[in-house]
Amino acid sequence: MAKATTASANTNVKKDEKTVVSKLENLGKDMILEVKREETPSFTTTLRGKSNVLYDEGIGCIRLGQKTEERRFVNVGQARKFMQTVAIANKCKKFLKENAHTSIRGLYYQLKFSIGEDLDEDLFSEQSESNPLVEDLEVALDVKREDLNLNTDRKGVVAGPLVLRDRFGGSEDVIDCTKQGRSGWMIPSDVDNGMDFVNVDADYVLVVEKDALWQRLNEDKFWKKENCILITPKGQASRGCRRLIRRLANKKLPVYCFTDCDAWGWYIYWAIKAGSINLAYLANDISTPEARFIGVTMQDIKDYDFLEKLTIKAKDVDLKRAEEMLAYPWISRHKEWVSELKTVLTTKKKIEQDALQGPKLSFVGDYLREKISKKKFLP
Amino acid sequence: MGETETIFKEFKEHSVAEFFKKNKQMLGFSGKTRSLTTIVHELVTNSLDACEEAKIAPEISVEVKEIDKERYIVKTIDNGPGIPEKHLGKALGMMLAGTKFHRYCQQRGQQGIGASGVTMYSQITTGKPIKAVSGYDGTVIRAEISVDFKSNSPRINNLTKEPGEFRGLSYECEVSDAKYDKSSYGVYEYLKRTAIANPHSQITLLEPDGTRVVFPRSVNEIPPKPQSVQPHPMGISTNDLMEFAQHDKESRKLGSFLQNNFARVSAAKVEELAQVAKEVDFNKAPKDLQWNDAEAIIKAIKLVKWIAPATDSVKPIGEAQITKSLTNMLSPEHLAVVERSPKIYSGGIPFVVEAAVAYGGQAGRKYADKTGGDIMRFANRAPLLFDSSGCGITEAIRAVDWKRYNIRNFDEEPITVLVNISSVHIPYTGAGKQAISDDQEVYDEVKNAVMEAARNVQRYIAGLTRDADRKARRKAILRYVTQLSKDLVDLANEGKAPEIEKELIKLIEEKYSAQIEDDDSGDEEVAHANENRKDEGGEEGEE
Repeated sequence: MAKATTASANTNVKKDEKTVVSKLENLGKDMILEVKREETPSFTTTLRGKSNVLYDEGIGCIRLGQKTEERRFVNVGQARKFMQTVAIANKCKKFLKENAHTSIRGLYYQLKFSIGEDLDEDLFSEQSESNPLVEDLEVALDVKREDLNLNTDRKGVVAGPLVLRDRFGGSEDVIDCTKQGRSGWMIPSDVDNGMDFVNVDADYVLVVEKDALWQRLNEDKFWKKENCILITPKGQASRGCRRLIRRLANKKLPVYCFTDCDAWGWYIYWAIKAGSINLAYLANDISTPEARFIGVTMQDIKDYDFLEKLTIKAKDVDLKRAEEMLAYPWISRHKEWVSELKTVLTTKKKIEQDALQGPKLSFVGDYLREKISKKKFLP
Repeated sequence: MGETETIFKEFKEHSVAEFFKKNKQMLGFSGKTRSLTTIVHELVTNSLDACEEAKIAPEISVEVKEIDKERYIVKTIDNGPGIPEKHLGKALGMMLAGTKFHRYCQQRGQQGIGASGVTMYSQITTGKPIKAVSGYDGTVIRAEISVDFKSNSPRINNLTKEPGEFRGLSYECEVSDAKYDKSSYGVYEYLKRTAIANPHSQITLLEPDGTRVVFPRSVNEIPPKPQSVQPHPMGISTNDLMEFAQHDKESRKLGSFLQNNFARVSAAKVEELAQVAKEVDFNKAPKDLQWNDAEAIIKAIKLVKWIAPATDSVKPIGEAQITKSLTNMLSPEHLAVVERSPKIYSGGIPFVVEAAVAYGGQAGRKYADKTGGDIMRFANRAPLLFDSSGCGITEAIRAVDWKRYNIRNFDEEPITVLVNISSVHIPYTGAGKQAISDDQEVYDEVKNAVMEAARNVQRYIAGLTRDADRKARRKAILRYVTQLSKDLVDLANEGKAPEIEKELIKLIEEKYSAQIEDDDSGDEEVAHANENRKDEGGEEGEE
């Protein structure tokens, strides 16, 4: 099987199915060894609580610290969860062997059965029980849930000079993102396993917060004129979307982000760039510290006269989010961002991406071109 | 007191016997079950007192035979000293003529109505005299005895006297308007409780259906002979004073009568009394004492300061005795017995409270398929079965916050609380002698004693809860073993599930091994708990 491009830039990226299976098997073997040594079966996982989340200045991403925690079976508080975790591990091993994928909900239904004829108790009684246990496994085995053949919700669309090979469900398809018409290619849950880059012949990656603006630029064939890969996460970026941006950045492509001029839009940028507290355990697998911010910025309102009239009132949630962001050390270290956020807090104004269609619909393209050529970015 | 005073006032106008014939409910003859229990109570109490005085380990048999609907023959036989011929009639056929009343000491029966009351009841309900057999010094006397109500004197018929081996008293009466049942007010329960409070006695009951019940002797020591003590002035009533005055043939003046008959009364104290009760002539002869004089003296007594009486006259059952008899009778899982030091109530009457809390085993009262808290009240070792709700002991026990002692609901737990009050003068609420007044000092002392015992039981129950908790924890882990073993073997692709399961079970059981041992040695635990209890009880007593 030919591989047009290798994904070896980041060794932690792509898990060979066999590697993941053996990781799972070794987890089981270690536990059996413990039982034979008359010890409780156990495994170690990294704490994912806020106390163990930190910002890594060197890499520029939010990751977990060193604090670990041992999960033990012979412990009243942990016994049930331990049994459940092992059941999940075993089930995932089967999925991998059968080359079948499912969602966490599908997994939950696979494991929702009675643990014994005389016991009035199900292995799982609610899906919410399984989520943190899957994360436990991800961290303990240093794999992503996608590597365990567990799908997450798809979100995000791509257009532009990117060709991929998708081996899935027994067939193999080549996807050319220049030939996806008005809808674009929808980013799947897993962009690593069975997913190879055949050809990435672009100058940069442009991430546009809103689907509406993406459709505008797609219709204008912006990606063709600028030879860029046009992505919209459609709001907050999904795991798959963030992972794809990371992989494209690995191909040395610059990544530019274009969002609303409000705290919400800026937060989307920061999640793509530095990761998030919730997904700190995936750290540099899903963050793209190289990403730069195009706009819309508060400065733009001064630079483009017409925008002044198109501002709208910032909502309370915007102001609250802005205050939160000022408190994040990875944001407050950039004076440009401190200034932007403080402007929002004083003017209590915001502006949407869509406003750039004010003078004429295709003005968005002109705006982006000017910004990129003049390298007017925020860090 | 008031009720008793009324009784004695009326004696002046009627014969005592007449009076009680009209007011038999005052003696406990009210209700069919209660009447039968009262009969047994009076007879057994007399027997126990007689044996104790003669230093004999009591063996008492009680036979209740149903001869017709609500008509019974009740027969008691004891191995006591018997009653000499010259006293036999008075003892069994004359009201208030007992030997006890004028000897002021702690005994079960106090007013001497006892056996004569039964004779009276037999006469009223069936018209038949009772049949007595008294054996002493190689002589056996048989007689039929009844009460002459008009003159309150005994009528003795068909008396025979012959040599014989029998020693003791046999008393047989025929009564109607009575009912034998196994309720908590019945004869069975009464004798069971009597046996608990009198572990030195052996009591046999022959029930109407032919069942023979033996409440065996559990201690061999006979309680010390009750000491006759002079009553303390604070403990006597107007009619006591009247009675004493009538019986004192030696003192010439009221002043010397008081000094000769009552404790802590000196010439100086008589002076003080005379200062207060100015209307009374302390120089008059005791036999001339009038009711209003006596009343004035009693009033004066309450106003004068007295040295507290000696407390050594009070003889409780004893901690070891209660422990033995309750263990014997209830086989409880845990038992705590507390004997408090003597206290004084009403300014001059010494009393001792003993309390025991038994948990588990046969403790508690059984209803249908449930078990609830049971209260056993005793006064001078005599069980109090009736008037529970109006009794200070019941009130004190109910006032305990049982939740604090890990008893969630007193009425739903296998728990028996025993309280015995010992005193020369028990503060009964009435002549029926079935309830203790809620005198604050007595009430507080009972409550404190019960709480002290409950603290000990609480520790035991807390231990049970802890064990149950651990057991639950072990179980909580064990339930996941099968599923985990299956998945583990599957995941690792090695080993055999049943083997892993066995190993895991071993692991879990080992971690909780201490608890398993506890489960297996339950009986020993109780024994140890009892030993500990004694030590702890002692410490607490000193606190």
